[in-house]
Amino acid sequence: MKKIILFISILVAIFSNSYAQADFSINGYLKTDNRMLIDDNSFTWNENQLGLKFEGSYSDNYHLFSEVRLRGFGFPEIYQAADLQSKDKVDKWQLEFREAYLDLYQFGLQDLDVRIGRQIITWGTADRLNPTSNICPEDLEDIFNFGEQSGVNSVLATYYLENFTFSGVYVPTFTPAVLPSGIFASALSEPMEFPEGMTLRKYWDKIILPEQKFTESSQAAFKIGTNLFDYDLSVSYYYGRDDLPLLNKVIINPVDTLGTVDASVEMIYPKMQIIGADFAGSLLDVGIWGEAALTIPNEVEMQTIVGDSITKSIALKNDPYCKFVIGGDYTFKNGIYLNTQFLHGFIHERGNDDLNDYLTLRIEKKFFNDELKIVPIGGAISVTDWDDYKNNYGFVANPEIIYCPYDNIELLFGAYIIDGKGSNMFSNLKGNDEIYFKVKVSF
Amino acid sequence: MKKKAITITMLLILACGSVYAQTHLAEDILKNADAVVNAPQDQEISLKMTLTDKGGNEKIREMKMYQKGDEMRLVRFLSPADQKGVSFLSLPDDIQYIYLPAFNKVRRIASHIKNDNFAGTDFSYDDMSASKYAEEHDATLLEKTDILYILELIPKPGVEKSYSKLKMWVRQDNFYPVKVEFYDKNSTLWKLFESRNIKKHGEYWIASEAEMTDIKKQHSTKMITEKIELDKGLSDKIFTKRNLKRAK
Repeated sequence: MKKIILFISILVAIFSNSYAQADFSINGYLKTDNRMLIDDNSFTWNENQLGLKFEGSYSDNYHLFSEVRLRGFGFPEIYQAADLQSKDKVDKWQLEFREAYLDLYQFGLQDLDVRIGRQIITWGTADRLNPTSNICPEDLEDIFNFGEQSGVNSVLATYYLENFTFSGVYVPTFTPAVLPSGIFASALSEPMEFPEGMTLRKYWDKIILPEQKFTESSQAAFKIGTNLFDYDLSVSYYYGRDDLPLLNKVIINPVDTLGTVDASVEMIYPKMQIIGADFAGSLLDVGIWGEAALTIPNEVEMQTIVGDSITKSIALKNDPYCKFVIGGDYTFKNGIYLNTQFLHGFIHERGNDDLNDYLTLRIEKKFFNDELKIVPIGGAISVTDWDDYKNNYGFVANPEIIYCPYDNIELLFGAYIIDGKGSNMFSNLKGNDEIYFKVKVSF
Repeated sequence: MKKKAITITMLLILACGSVYAQTHLAEDILKNADAVVNAPQDQEISLKMTLTDKGGNEKIREMKMYQKGDEMRLVRFLSPADQKGVSFLSLPDDIQYIYLPAFNKVRRIASHIKNDNFAGTDFSYDDMSASKYAEEHDATLLEKTDILYILELIPKPGVEKSYSKLKMWVRQDNFYPVKVEFYDKNSTLWKLFESRNIKKHGEYWIASEAEMTDIKKQHSTKMITEKIELDKGLSDKIFTKRNLKRAK
């Protein structure tokens, strides 16, 4: 902890000293986020954050930015007396290095900007659900905070030519996605099924990360954007890896003759190419947008080893599959704002047979000069089988009240109500209805 | 009988001619008003906005505004902290973009939002664009006082506005619009815009204070010019999506 405080103090000192020399600023925020299960009033989320943003430039030719978060997150993990001697276990905290990059404007060429360093690159025109945004890994720690991504060390070059924008990105190293934690850990994975009569005794899993070398961990992406007939349009290409692990090996070892087994699994991050396209504009008075991502994965073999017997199958076919989202928003004369999106294929879904349909909806109304915002209807609905939708659906409803009594202060109170039938992302989380209270103070 | 008919026809022609002349005069006044407000080739302005609610509580916003001609404008928030970096770009052909740093995205503003309040102020996104009243309204001269012209402006057919009409007070000596009343669709007074401290900066007339009051909400936004630089030769590149995302 002392090292962290020293590190932040040094950063503050460096930037404070630079005030006199250039246009530098330090901003930040304090955030608390607490959640409780409605059913049994147990607390599920306990988070406090201090975020610091350092930003500045000595000239018009460059700009630097960094954001770090000091975060207390989780609950005490005490199992024995000795744990009480560890402050990390009594009061868990972590330092998150979100972004730290340098912008070089007109770098070598008048119309070329380059951004180097750890950065979050978001492509696509949709709201928070962007199938064409694949450069940065998903941060799914908070499963309901769709679209959150982690920063990656990369180089982004953007060249502007009249009405066109050409972007190219290179990411040398691979960073996997952060998966949901706590009670929502199973949100994105189906439970493992064993043949009848087989009982699991022990389970291990192993994640095989790609080697951090040019040919294995590198990712690259390109995008061309323009404006045509009053619509913003772009096409993109990504070469890299899926940031969510894929099961490709299962080893089952019988322990006795009664059907008890030990199981271990291996997971890898498959290579893939993604061709994307997006648009945004207006149709009459309605704002509309859409994006589509055609994914071409490398084929991944699946090995199932039971004792001495090895069975091979396909874990991921190399058949292309397309995820897409289309959405729109509109503000009615009475000030009610409506935002809706239809999504085919969620972040974790792969292959044509695995893509499900989702509908997101948010209706909000502001009062008292934007001090109070009420979201009576918000959330998402999933349908996994339209032929039998009554038994294959799930939803999360997210009503919310946001109150800003003063500048820079935001209080949020809301709930996640989850229900559904069949096996899908939301119905798997059924019974975990939560209420939450969040506070954010910006400075 | 024939004489009577000729007299009536003459009177009608005179009346129509007078109406035509009045309309023509009103449109000229409006064009002059636009021209005087947008006269500088370009402007770089540091602004302080004070938002006051009906209880007298105040909120402060600081921003920088760049304008070139009468069609390109970029507004960037400097404070408060939770709005720092939020930027708005207005381009010809009614194209508007907003940059929200929290999402790291530039978004096109659809027309349904253009009449919404801009960042909690009493100005709409449309108001934040460079003023082009003559292009979007038909004008009628209601009255001429000793020092002012009073015009009524109705949105031209096909121009969608959240108000039904405007009433504008324009100074006769320099054509600067000093007051505009906004009427809602029920023709009830809704908002009031006033320009104050109108002084000459070089060859241009500039109002260093402006205030928009929402009569219904009893809420006002006062905009004070803290620093203004004119005809600096601002590049067109300032008014681009590329620059919108820039920190400065």
